[in-house]
Amino acid sequence: MASSTMAGAHDHPRGLRRFLFSTNHKDIGTLYIILGSIGGVIGFLLSLGMRLELAYPGVQIFPGLAEALQGADPSMALDAGKNLYNVFITVHGVLMIFFMAMPILIGGFGNWFVPIMIGAPDMAFPRLNNISFWLLFASLVLAVISMFVEGAPGMKGFGGGWTFYPPLSSNTGSPGPAMDFVILALHLAGASSILGAINFITTIFNMRAPGMTLHKMPLFVWSMLVTAFLLLLVLPVLAGCVTMLLTDRNFGTMFYDPAGGGDPLLFQHLLWFFGHPEVYIVILPGFGIISQIVSTFSKKPVFGYLGMAYAMVSIGVLGSIVWAHHMYTVGMSLNAQRYFTLATMVIAVPTGIKIFSWIATMWGGSISFRAPMVWAIGFIFVFTMGGITGVVLANASADKQFHEGYYVVAHFHYTLSLGAVFALYAGFYYWFPKMTGYMYSETLAKANFWLLFIGVNVVFFPQHFLGLGGMPRRYIDYPDAYALWNLVSSSGMIFVTLSLIVWFYAIIDAFMKKRLAGANPWGVGATTLEWTLSSPPPFHQFQVLPRITGASR
Amino acid sequence: MFNVNRQMLTRGALAAAVAIPATLIAGFALAQVEGQPTPGGLGLPNMVTPVGLGTQQFYNMVLMPIISFIALFVLGLLIYVSYRFNEQRNPIPSKLTHNTPLEIVWTLIPVLILLFISVPSLRLLAEQVEVPEASVTIKVTGNQWYWSYKYPEDQGGGFGFDQMLKPESELQPGDLRLLSVDNEAVVPVNEVIAVHITSNDVIHAFGVPSFGVRMDAIPGRLNQTWFKIEKEGVYYGQCFFICGKDHAYMPIVIRAVSREKYNEWLAQAKQKFASADSRVRVAAESH
Amino acid sequence: MNAPAPRSRKRPQMIAAALVVGTAAMLGLSFASAPLYRAFCAATGFGGTPRTDLAGAPSPGERVLTVRFDANVARDLPWRFEPEVAKISLRTGETKTVYYKVANLSDRETSGQAAYNVTPGQAGAFFVKVACFCFEEKRLGPHEAEEWPVVFYLDPALEREEGMRGVREITLSYTFFAIKDSTAAKTSETAIAKPKG
Repeated sequence: MASSTMAGAHDHPRGLRRFLFSTNHKDIGTLYIILGSIGGVIGFLLSLGMRLELAYPGVQIFPGLAEALQGADPSMALDAGKNLYNVFITVHGVLMIFFMAMPILIGGFGNWFVPIMIGAPDMAFPRLNNISFWLLFASLVLAVISMFVEGAPGMKGFGGGWTFYPPLSSNTGSPGPAMDFVILALHLAGASSILGAINFITTIFNMRAPGMTLHKMPLFVWSMLVTAFLLLLVLPVLAGCVTMLLTDRNFGTMFYDPAGGGDPLLFQHLLWFFGHPEVYIVILPGFGIISQIVSTFSKKPVFGYLGMAYAMVSIGVLGSIVWAHHMYTVGMSLNAQRYFTLATMVIAVPTGIKIFSWIATMWGGSISFRAPMVWAIGFIFVFTMGGITGVVLANASADKQFHEGYYVVAHFHYTLSLGAVFALYAGFYYWFPKMTGYMYSETLAKANFWLLFIGVNVVFFPQHFLGLGGMPRRYIDYPDAYALWNLVSSSGMIFVTLSLIVWFYAIIDAFMKKRLAGANPWGVGATTLEWTLSSPPPFHQFQVLPRITGASR
Repeated sequence: MFNVNRQMLTRGALAAAVAIPATLIAGFALAQVEGQPTPGGLGLPNMVTPVGLGTQQFYNMVLMPIISFIALFVLGLLIYVSYRFNEQRNPIPSKLTHNTPLEIVWTLIPVLILLFISVPSLRLLAEQVEVPEASVTIKVTGNQWYWSYKYPEDQGGGFGFDQMLKPESELQPGDLRLLSVDNEAVVPVNEVIAVHITSNDVIHAFGVPSFGVRMDAIPGRLNQTWFKIEKEGVYYGQCFFICGKDHAYMPIVIRAVSREKYNEWLAQAKQKFASADSRVRVAAESH
Repeated sequence: MNAPAPRSRKRPQMIAAALVVGTAAMLGLSFASAPLYRAFCAATGFGGTPRTDLAGAPSPGERVLTVRFDANVARDLPWRFEPEVAKISLRTGETKTVYYKVANLSDRETSGQAAYNVTPGQAGAFFVKVACFCFEEKRLGPHEAEEWPVVFYLDPALEREEGMRGVREITLSYTFFAIKDSTAAKTSETAIAKPKG
């Protein structure tokens, strides 16, 4: 094995060199988690701006923000503010998906724990791993720059939503270079993820320790394997899709321009061929994390291991053939809408299997309610909430009432903002002692949970009512009838903000107090390989490959 | 004693859980004005078209009960296992990891539930997509940031007009901020109205919540939908696809009137809008 | 899978190479999707794309449907463009010619190209054009007016299609767009048009 034999050859680099040129999967994982946290905090601040604006009817804060952030002329401040609001929703979406959820779940936890869990000394291609990370960093810089260059005529930033539908994203709607920056950011993020995915698949296929068969791999590794395959399948399509937009914008092609025989719907088909699997790319690693945690703290092996693994595979497969359920209102034929309705609803079946298997894992267990377990149980509930509204929206007939409205916003935030984020926090509190060697304060971790749980539910539950009532999404201002639930929704941000402060404090507290965690702080339930190593693990683990016998999960 | 208290608490909580939403819904239902969003509303608006009523029935009678039941069922299970199998109560974990019959059951039951949902779903879908014989066809074009309407010549029309948001300074009593417009689109009540939708620049979407109608306006492409309003009144809608900075400022207003009044309006509108054929063409000619 | 035998150093490169090939294939497919999508729409009528069949109508059918005509002109093209009749009734299998009136309202020569579709979407597979002005670019001199024909029929096969049973009216829609000049001209134009603030 390449890296294990060479491991002794290079020393343990220190300081800037250690991270800048890092080829160590754990250091790169740490870098990803830091990058994701930065992306997440920026994304959160953007959403805070939106919720502040929407707290009351009328336009209050964005004109001022546009003057302060983008240097808008006071006489144009109202228009600049309206545009900036759209820029905020766009960048919020891009950041939260590409620069928060994906880096932390895949780049962070994936890099840290996939090699360890399969008993490998490192990733298969350590240098590639380093490139992946720095490509993503460059991409984040481009995405943020796009907010400050011209998009729509006379306006700064691209404000067409994270789905970038042309003609709003083509020269018709946004002739300025902001959209080009966004496209390049997507290219780099895509390249980064593709390289990362190749690395994960090769690592999982080729570097498992003796005895670690595919069917003995922990479910988190399974989830990363499915995720990596999905990334390879759909990210090239995103790359092609936005490249054609780039040439439409700059080189006179007409792929999406009806004036030249192109079709804007082609863009939507390509984008959602990427975009729908993308939501599973974000949530599948979360599924893996929750499986590990539920099993650890119930002190029981995962119920129905094979069913769980293949449920993820089938979610990945099904998730790739249902994309046009995002397009029920574009004027598709009856049969196409029927197909996408039925195919989409089928995804509820493997998802249901996962939910019930987690509960069955807890059934008969001896559950200790440590912080990660509390987060995991929270995840199961909020993800179920997001899942059932997904069943509603799968129906083309019902979707006609909810499409592009707040019901949809509530739905996908329950699955992502609550689901993926809760899984992410669960994983963070589960592995924090392993990654740092220090134990955090259990009280702070639980306070973080309850504040966020109350916060996000107060923010997003009333949005179902707004959507039922007919409020469209991506609106800076709304008819007065929607005022009540918008105010309630915005007030939830108080709890969310507090929860973030508590989270930071919990981290600082852990590093200050230096409570040593020990190799395995979670007891007999923690049976995966990372708990056999010291905390934090040695710079190069498994100099002698572990031999896996008996059942695993 | 303790038990009694707990029982009372549970009962009280249950009563509150039923009573509070019930009073809320009742209170809001009274405040509801057809065609416009209800302040603090909790559910779907009052529907006034067959498709809208179908959607309302499908959501309120089929989807909503099923998803609420599933959510409460999962919540109940989570609370039960957390209580029954916590480490104090159950210090020795079982080794149960397989139960094939159970796994088959929790695969099959969701399949049956989905099949049950799909029957009314697909029926409603066909009703939405298949436009019945229409007596009036109106053509709606999205623009940044207003809607244009055209009434075809063969149905007594032959004119078009733009529908722009009424600025806040011009609102009259009874007008709604962000919803009222200068030119309302008038249609006859109890007749099938076909709507043809396209766009002049970027993608917009035509949506009127109380009709159960939402359809994208895409440049270079004509889409259609339909409604049959069963009650006279003024119905408000908005743009449902992000289209630039004034996305929130291009409402839709449809007024449903009797056939006689509609004919009167047609005659008036023909004169009123005869000259203003289309600002687009005027702009084109001047350049 | 269960062989713990020492693995050769070549294997990770092989796997990675296979994955790279797969990725490249998907990338190629995404670019190929533009022509493929067009071909798919033309062949199946997906998204309301009318079919083209220069051969003409097959045997006549039974059902009579209404066909409505719609016309649009993009903002940047100074044309008047409208159908001669708003709608016709048509038996399936019957070939029909309908004229669109078009006029250039400006003092210069302009050219345009039409985008088109039929609605409802499922009707695309059964709406067959025999001849159409939309097949090519069109050029009109200053204030020139013309009448352009579209020749089409409705495929009687629609009578057997379950999804067409409820369809009584089909609308054929055109949108004329100005043909944009060469790339260089266009990009420089937008560069100039950009306001400074």
